[in-house]
Amino acid sequence: MKNYFIKRLIYAVFTILLIATITFFLMHSIPGGPFTRERPVPDEIMKTLNEKYHLDDPLIVQYFDYMKGLLTFDLGPSYSKIGTDVEELIIAGFPASAKIGVLATIMIIIIGIPIGMISALKQNKPVDYMVMFFATLGVTVPSFVVATLIIYFFAGKLGWLPTFGLNSPLSYIGPVIALSGYSLSFVARLTRSSMLEILRQDYIRTARANGLKERSVIAKHAMKNALIPVVTYIGPMIAAILTGSFVIERIFAIPGIGRYFVESVTNRDYTTILGMTVFYAAFYVIMVLLVDVAYALIDPRIRFGKGSK
Amino acid sequence: MDKNKFVFVDKQEIEEEAYRKSLTYWQDAWRRLKKHKLAMIGLVGVIAIVLIGIFGPMLTQFSYSDQVNDYKNLPPRLDLYQVDDDTFIYLSGDYFLFSVTEKGVLVKRLELPQENKDIINKVYTYILDGEPVILDFSYNLLPGKKGYDYDFTLEYKGNVTHDVYKTVLNKIYPFGTDSLGRDMLTRTMYGARISLIVAFVATLVNFIIGVTYGALAGYEGGRKDNIMMRIVDIINSIPLVLYVILLMVMLGNQGLWTIIIALGSVYWVGMARLVRGQMLALKEQEFVLAARTLGVSKKKIIMRHLIPNAMGPIIVSMTMMIPSAVFTESFLSFIGLGVSAPMASWGTLANNALSGLITYPYQLFYPALAIAITMLAFNFLGDGLRDALDPRLRKG
Repeated sequence: MKNYFIKRLIYAVFTILLIATITFFLMHSIPGGPFTRERPVPDEIMKTLNEKYHLDDPLIVQYFDYMKGLLTFDLGPSYSKIGTDVEELIIAGFPASAKIGVLATIMIIIIGIPIGMISALKQNKPVDYMVMFFATLGVTVPSFVVATLIIYFFAGKLGWLPTFGLNSPLSYIGPVIALSGYSLSFVARLTRSSMLEILRQDYIRTARANGLKERSVIAKHAMKNALIPVVTYIGPMIAAILTGSFVIERIFAIPGIGRYFVESVTNRDYTTILGMTVFYAAFYVIMVLLVDVAYALIDPRIRFGKGSK
Repeated sequence: MDKNKFVFVDKQEIEEEAYRKSLTYWQDAWRRLKKHKLAMIGLVGVIAIVLIGIFGPMLTQFSYSDQVNDYKNLPPRLDLYQVDDDTFIYLSGDYFLFSVTEKGVLVKRLELPQENKDIINKVYTYILDGEPVILDFSYNLLPGKKGYDYDFTLEYKGNVTHDVYKTVLNKIYPFGTDSLGRDMLTRTMYGARISLIVAFVATLVNFIIGVTYGALAGYEGGRKDNIMMRIVDIINSIPLVLYVILLMVMLGNQGLWTIIIALGSVYWVGMARLVRGQMLALKEQEFVLAARTLGVSKKKIIMRHLIPNAMGPIIVSMTMMIPSAVFTESFLSFIGLGVSAPMASWGTLANNALSGLITYPYQLFYPALAIAITMLAFNFLGDGLRDALDPRLRKG
């Protein structure tokens, strides 16, 4: 177990460094510097700017400087928000993004899994059809449409919810629904189909034949195994929430990292794009690592089978 | 046991049952797909969307970039006010009056000379056929509206009206127009074309890279496979949308190709994994051994023996990849990384509609509906194909 953990940890650190390297060189291969404008900047100013941001150093020196900074979580200055460092943007935006993200994750788990289960147990009954209808709708309508519809009806027409910001508890409802909608529907569909498959297995029939109570058959035997595919979806789910936050934070005007990231993409603010990509990648890799380790602790098959490859 | 309980089976009947035409894999799959109702709905939907994307924009009288300055932000349904016996007026959200026939055909926008705009008293005087049309929308200025239950009145040739006479469909612009006076119907159909081109080409690129990479890794096995799959693992270990955004930023906005390259060069990893898994299972089978014994080259074994046998899962995965490419493309366009104006994809259309959402919700509605229908159609078809191509579900 310890070996597995150490192996995964080394692998994760290696991945993060590799991503940082690739992203760094990608960003520096873009023709034109960060201060290239349509109107040429006077040479003097250009020189001072380049000196200030160490852009006149050889690329390899810049690279090692950047990597050194990365180890101390120093991601360099933002090119478009003068006087702000990229890590300051991340620190400023993280609480808002994290709150929405965590709430959305909780929603997905406490609503998605149970409705998937119910739908499977009541297969071909009205409840099942209703759940599947909404779940299908959830994976076919893009999150930005859901978000705009929420704003249009609940914030605009009915006035029940605030249209932007995160100032009151009510204002969390819109972003969280829009952010969790896709994954929630996906989890519900996944739970349903995997539950249906498990219920057809021989060992479930055996359990029933042995006279176990229905509740115990479902809770003890079926549910545990049915949840395995759902757990493997956690990685993609985190990715979906991370990237989903880009549009959700933009539409609801939430001052989170996602919005800063989209702004930096629009402004071609290369250091911010670079820093935030590395941050997102590192965050994602670490989250997936934690999930995998927890998973290995619970299910011994993973440790010696798939995960140890 | 009583002998009478047993009945002789009619031999003829059995033989008829057992006789069936021999079907190839694809004929069998098609037979099963036809039985899958949702999949057929999906297939019809997909064909319809593709046809609309190809021919739709040719059939309308407008092009996707035609701007008509007079007809901005017109909705698909017009509320008409009758101001004279056969004179009907539509009042737009930004206080323009339009003369419309009773059937809903736009005639023209009424002239509003600058000096006729009384902004302080909120009374505008428009000209229709030389006669003034007076729009008085000062009622909201009155304290408590003084008991009036309407917001404005229209006056023409002495007739005063404030009630909607009837609501008609916009005959010239069935989907309305956008903020530059472009026909939304044409643009939505044109958006289908762009979104589908992006999705299909990106999926094709994914297919080529993914299948080649996966087949090589799976067939070679051993250390080569190990290294190749570690690379895939690393690419797969960060959210793919991030790579796409990076690539889009790096390539700069050079039209349609940027987004196709960005999507195509990232999403192949899933395909590579799938194909590798198939290869690992297939290459141990006897027919590959036989081919190898006969001295067939590696390339030929992969192309002629292995890939055709793995085609089922590959096709299912491609069918699922297309809607997710449409999704990703619209997502990217929505955050401002999509195709550049005046080109339009469903994502850019939705993005453009965002600023005027409260007043002109229809501008978001049609592209969003188009995305949803496409997603549904491809997902239904993909689900059906998965069932139809799965050899485990094969019966008789």
